[in-house]
Amino acid sequence: MAYAYLFKYIIIGDTGVGKSCLLLQFTDKRFQPVHDLTIGVEFGARMITIDGKQIKLQIWDTAGQESFRSITRSYYRGAAGALLVYDITRRDTFNHLTTWLEDARQHSNSNMVIMLIGNKSDLESRREVKKEEGEAFAREHGLIFMETSAKTASNVEEAFINTAKEIYEKIQEGVFDINNETEEKISDQLELNRQANGIKIGPQHPTTNSTLSSNQGGHQAGGGCC
Amino acid sequence: MNFFRGVISGQAAGPQPSGAETIQKLCDRVASSTLLEDRRDAVRALKSLSKKYRMEVGTQAMDHLINILQTDRSDSEILGYALDTLYNVICNDEEEEQDESEDAVAPLPVSGKHKNVSVPDENAQKQADDLSLQFTDTFIQDPEHVTLLLTLLEEFDFHVRWPGVKLLTALLKNQGPQIQGIILVSPMGVSRLMDLLADSREVIRNDGLLLLQQLTKGNAAIQKIVAFENAFERLLDIITEEGSSDGGIVVEDCLLLLLNLLKNNSSNQNFFKEGSYIQRMKPWFEVGDDNSGWSAQKVTNLHLMLQLVRVMVSPVNSPGATASCQKSMFQCGLLQQLCTILMATGVPADILTETINTVSEVIRGSQVNQDYFASVNAPSNPPRPAIVVLLMSMVNERQPFVLRCAVLYCFQCFLYKNQKGQGEIVATLLPSTIDANSISAGQLLCGGLFSADSLSNWCAAVALAHALQDNLTQKEQLLRVQLATSLGKPPVSLLQQCTNILSQGDKIVRRGSKVQTRVGLLMLLCTWISNCPIAVTHFLHNQENVPFLTAQISENLGEDERLVQGLCALLLGICIYYNDNSLENYTKEKLKQLIEKRIGKENFVEKLGFITKHELYSRAAQKPQPVFPSPEQMLFDHEFTKLVKELEGVITKAVHKSSEEEKKEEEVKKTLEQHDNIVTQYKELIREQDAQLQELKEQVASMTSQNEQLQATITQQQSQIQQHKDQYNILKLKLAKENQGQSNSQGDGSQVNGLQTEELTQLREEVEELRKQHSLLQTQLSDKDALISSLKSGAAQTAEGPAGGSDNTELLQELEALRSQVQSQSTEIGQLKMERQDLLRRAEAGSSDTLPSSDSSLDAAKMAELESRLGAQTSEMERLKAEVKNLSESRAELEKQLDSTTSTVAILQTEKEKLQTDVQESKKEQDDLLMLLADQDQKITSLKKRLKDLGETVEDEDDLDTRDQTDDDDEEDEDED
Ligand SMILES: Nc1nc2c(ncn2[C@@H]2O[C@H](COP(=O)(O)OP(=O)(O)OP(=O)(O)O)[C@@H](O)[C@H]2O)c(=O)[nH]1
Ligand SMILES: [Mg+2]
Repeated sequence: MAYAYLFKYIIIGDTGVGKSCLLLQFTDKRFQPVHDLTIGVEFGARMITIDGKQIKLQIWDTAGQESFRSITRSYYRGAAGALLVYDITRRDTFNHLTTWLEDARQHSNSNMVIMLIGNKSDLESRREVKKEEGEAFAREHGLIFMETSAKTASNVEEAFINTAKEIYEKIQEGVFDINNETEEKISDQLELNRQANGIKIGPQHPTTNSTLSSNQGGHQAGGGCC
Repeated sequence: MNFFRGVISGQAAGPQPSGAETIQKLCDRVASSTLLEDRRDAVRALKSLSKKYRMEVGTQAMDHLINILQTDRSDSEILGYALDTLYNVICNDEEEEQDESEDAVAPLPVSGKHKNVSVPDENAQKQADDLSLQFTDTFIQDPEHVTLLLTLLEEFDFHVRWPGVKLLTALLKNQGPQIQGIILVSPMGVSRLMDLLADSREVIRNDGLLLLQQLTKGNAAIQKIVAFENAFERLLDIITEEGSSDGGIVVEDCLLLLLNLLKNNSSNQNFFKEGSYIQRMKPWFEVGDDNSGWSAQKVTNLHLMLQLVRVMVSPVNSPGATASCQKSMFQCGLLQQLCTILMATGVPADILTETINTVSEVIRGSQVNQDYFASVNAPSNPPRPAIVVLLMSMVNERQPFVLRCAVLYCFQCFLYKNQKGQGEIVATLLPSTIDANSISAGQLLCGGLFSADSLSNWCAAVALAHALQDNLTQKEQLLRVQLATSLGKPPVSLLQQCTNILSQGDKIVRRGSKVQTRVGLLMLLCTWISNCPIAVTHFLHNQENVPFLTAQISENLGEDERLVQGLCALLLGICIYYNDNSLENYTKEKLKQLIEKRIGKENFVEKLGFITKHELYSRAAQKPQPVFPSPEQMLFDHEFTKLVKELEGVITKAVHKSSEEEKKEEEVKKTLEQHDNIVTQYKELIREQDAQLQELKEQVASMTSQNEQLQATITQQQSQIQQHKDQYNILKLKLAKENQGQSNSQGDGSQVNGLQTEELTQLREEVEELRKQHSLLQTQLSDKDALISSLKSGAAQTAEGPAGGSDNTELLQELEALRSQVQSQSTEIGQLKMERQDLLRRAEAGSSDTLPSSDSSLDAAKMAELESRLGAQTSEMERLKAEVKNLSESRAELEKQLDSTTSTVAILQTEKEKLQTDVQESKKEQDDLLMLLADQDQKITSLKKRLKDLGETVEDEDDLDTRDQTDDDDEEDEDED
C-alpha cells in the first residue's frame, strides 16, 4: 500500500468517553456497545485520501483510566495529531479537558494538531455540555472542534480526516521538518525530532512496484488486510 | 595518593589490610573528601577492587557510589567509574551469557554464546547469582535510583552513557518486572531508552539493543511504546545495513528484539502488518542457491527470521489477523521465497525444517496460499510436486525426526479447511484416477501406512486422517480404495487392511514402537468412520472386527497398552453412536448388549477415559504443530484430540443408556421432533405474523396518507366554505343594497377567488343571474325615474308629489296625490260648472238688464278657455291613470324579483348548511381514522408482545432501522473489499 504520508495519531480523554469506539467506527465501521476498558494502548490503522494523496493514519488509542496515565504519556511525543475526547453527557469529562490539554502540551511536539471532540452526540436527551461550550473551549485553546457519535458514525470520518487536513496544511506551510532524504546527515538530536513529530514520508516510487501496486486498496476503509 | 599506592602496590610488604578495611577507607574518602580529584581516585580504586572484592564493595560502597551519581553530575569521569563499579558488583558475568529463547521450539544451534556451566561451578555460580540479586535489590530499593540512572543515560559522554547502559541492562536482567515498572512510570523513560538505537556510536547502539531486549521482555506495555517509537523501522534498517542474514550478532540481536516486540502482542503485530513491514521481510529469504555461506551466525539469523514470520501467522493468533498476514505474505512474494528455500539444495536440515514449519503456518487455512503451495514443483527431472517430495521425506526413515514432523505439519496445514486439497489427495488413491506412472501422494501415504517403520505408519495414518477431516465425501470415497496384497489373493479394502494390521500387528517385525503403529491406525479409523454411517457399516461388515475390539478392550493389558484399549473403546463407541442399524447383527442395541456382556459398561467407560487421561494427550491438545521431544512420544495428533473431546461424552452417554432409556430417548427424540415441529409451526406463525405485521404497517402507512389526503380535502373544503360564506355575505349585502334601492354595483365578482368547483360555477351563474336581474331592476328603476320626472314636469301643480323615487309607497302616495289632485280638479270643475250655470242664469236675466251683450261675449271666451283647460286636464288625467297602471305592474314585477332573490338566498343558505354538515362529516371521518390508527397501534404492540412471548426477538422499530443501516454498511465494506 503505497502512501504519500504517514501520520501518527493518539486518542486521549477520560475513561468511557468513547475513544476506542471512535477508533473502531473509523477503522471497522462498527460500534461496540459494551465498554471494553482499554488496557494501556491499542493500535489501529487506516488509509485516507487528502488532496488526491494517500495518507496512512496510524492511531494509538490510549486508556483513559488514571492508572495508565504514565504509560499513555509516552505516546505524546511521537504523535502528529491528537484527538482529545470528552463525553457530552458527562460534564466531568469536559471539566477534565484542561488537565488533559496541559498534559498533552507538556509532553508533545509543539506542532501537534489537537482536535477536540464532544462524543456521544446521539444522546441529545442526556446532554450536559452544550455545543457552544465545546466551541468556546476549542476557540480559547486553539483547537479544532467537532461533536461526534461513535454510535451513529456521525462526524467520525470528518474528525479523523479534518485532523489530517490540518497536519497536511502545516506540512505544506513547512511547519514540520519531515525530510527523509537528509536523514543520514542530520545530527542525533535532529534525527530524534524527525521521528518525534509523528510524520513519515511514504516510500518514493518512481516506477510502480510490480506485485504491490494493484492499488485499489488505497480507498479501502477499515483496518482490513495489509 | 600515597595511601592508595600503599593499598594497591604494597601488598607484598608488611601486614596487609583486609579487603574490607581497605574498602571502608576508600568509602570514607569518597564520602568525606572535598576534593573532586580525591573522590575520583577513591572511586577508581573501588572499581579496580570491585571484581575481586565484589561482596565487600557491594555491601559497603553502594550508597557512596549512588551518592556520587547524584552529586558529581558534572564530572563524567567519576560518574563513569561509579557506574562501572556498580556494574561490576551487580552484574554476573557468567550469568550474562545465558538467557534468551528458553521457549524456542527446537533448540537453537549452539552459537558461541551458549556456554555450558560445568557442574563443579554450580555452587559458586549460585552464590554469585544471589549476590547479584541482593545488590540489585539494594539499588532499586529507592526507585529514584533507577530514575537517576535514566537521567544519566541522557549524558552524551561515552564514559557515562556506555556503563550506564550496561548497568541498567544488568539490573533489568536481575529484577526485570520491578525495574520495568519503574521505567514505565518515569516520564518518557522508555522513549529515552529507544533513543539509544539512534546513537552513532555502534557500541552504544549494540548494547542499547541488549538493553531493549531486557526491557521489553514480557511487558506488553513497554513493547508497545518501543514499537510506537519506530523500533520496527529502526531495527529493520539496522538489519538491512548489517547485511540481513549474512550479518553478524547485531542482526541476531535486532531479530531477538523484534521477536520480543511481536510475540503474543497482537497490537504490535497489527502495527507491524499495517506498517507494511511484512514486505520488508521478504528479502531476508533471498538466500542464494550456492552452498557456500551457511555460517553458524547465518543459520541463527535465518532461524530467528523464520520464527518472526511464524509469529505473525501463528495458529494461536486471531483468525482474522493471521488471515490478513497470510494474504500479504503471498502478495509480497514472501511465501514464494520460502518455497524456493524449501526446494533448494544444500540448505541445512535445521533451516529446512524450520522453513517447512514456517510455510505450514503461512498456508494453514488460507485457500489461496494452499492452492499456491499445491502448485509448487521441485526442480527435479521430471518435476515433482513439492507435496510429493515432502511426503517422501516424511516416510523416509533416514530423514531427521524433526524434519519428518515438520513435513507432517506442512501436510496437515495444507489440508486444513481445504476440501479441494483433501479431494485431490484422496483422488490419487482411487481406481479411476490413479496414475501408475508417477509417484503420488496417495501411494506414498499407503506405503507409509504399511511400511515396517512405526513412525512412518503413524505419520501416514495421521496424514490420511487429515485428508478426511470434516469431509464426508472423502470418507466415503476412501471406502472405494482396494489394495492388491500378494499375487493370487483377492484385493482387500484399505479399511480392512488397516484393521488387519491392527489385529495381526504382531506378525510383522517392525522397527520402532508397536503402540505407535496401532495408535496411528486407530486414530485414522476413528476419524474415518466417525460421522459416516456408511463407513461404520463397512467396518462392522467384517465379522472379525468387533470381536477383535471387544477382546482388546476387555483384556487386562499392561500400562503401555492402555492407550490402545482406550482407542479401541472409542472406535467401538463410534460404531454405536454413528450406527444406522443397517446390519442386523450389529445394531446399536446389539452392540450395547455386547459391551454389557463382554466388557461391562463401567469397564468400557473407564477404558474410554484412558485416552484423555494419557500424559501426552493435553500436550497435543495445546497446538496444531506436532512437536515431540522424542519419536516414542509421537502418539497424539492435535485434530484427533478435538475429535475425542467431541465424542467422549456422547459415547459414554450412549453406552450407559439401557434399551428402556433408549426407548425413552426415542420418545424424547420424538417429543423433541414434535417440539421441533411446534417450533417450526411457531416459526411459521411468526413468519405469518411478520407478514401480517408488514401488511398492517403498510395499511397504517396507506391510511396515514389517506388521512392526510382527507385532511387536505377538508382544509380545502373549509376554505371553499369560507369563500362561499364570503360570497353569501356579499350577496346578502348586495341584496340589502338592492332592496334599499341603491344602485351601486361595484365588482362583487372580484371577491370570488379562483376556486373552480361546481358549486362555485353554479354560484357564479347565480350571481350572474342576480346581477342581470339587478341591472334589469336598475333599468326599470331609471325608467321610472324618467317617468316620474316627466310626471313632475308635466304636472307642476302636483310638485309636492313623489320626487321621482321608485319606491312603491312613494308611487302609491304619488298615485294618491294624483287621485286627490284629480279629485280636487273634479271638484274645481264642478264648481266652475256651477259658476257657469249661475252665470248663464244671470246672463239670461241680464239681457233684460243693462250690458247684456258685452257680458255675454266675455263669458263665452272665458267658457271656451275653461273648456279647453278641462279637456287638457282630462287627457292629463287619462295619461296619469295609465301611468299608475304601469307603475303598479312594475311594482308587481319587482315584488316577484324580490321573491326570487329571497329564494336564492334560501338556496345559498341550504347550500351552506350542506357544506357545514360536510365539514362535520369529514371531521367525524378523521376522528374515525384516528381511532383506527390507535387501534392498529394497539394491535401491533400486542402482536409484538405475542412474538416476544413466543421467544422471537422483537426489536423496536428504531433498532430495526439502525440494524438495517449497519447491514448496508457492511455490504458497502464488502463492496470496497
Ligand atoms: N450512545 C453512545 N455511546 C457511546 C458512544 N461512544 C461510545 N459509547 C459507549 O461508551 C462506552 C465507552 O466506550 P469506549 O470507547 O470503550 O470508551 P474509552 O474512551 O475507550 O474508555 P477507556 O478505554 O477506558 O479509556 C461504551 O459502552 C460505548 O458503547 C457514542 O457515540 N454514543
Ligand atoms: Mg478504550
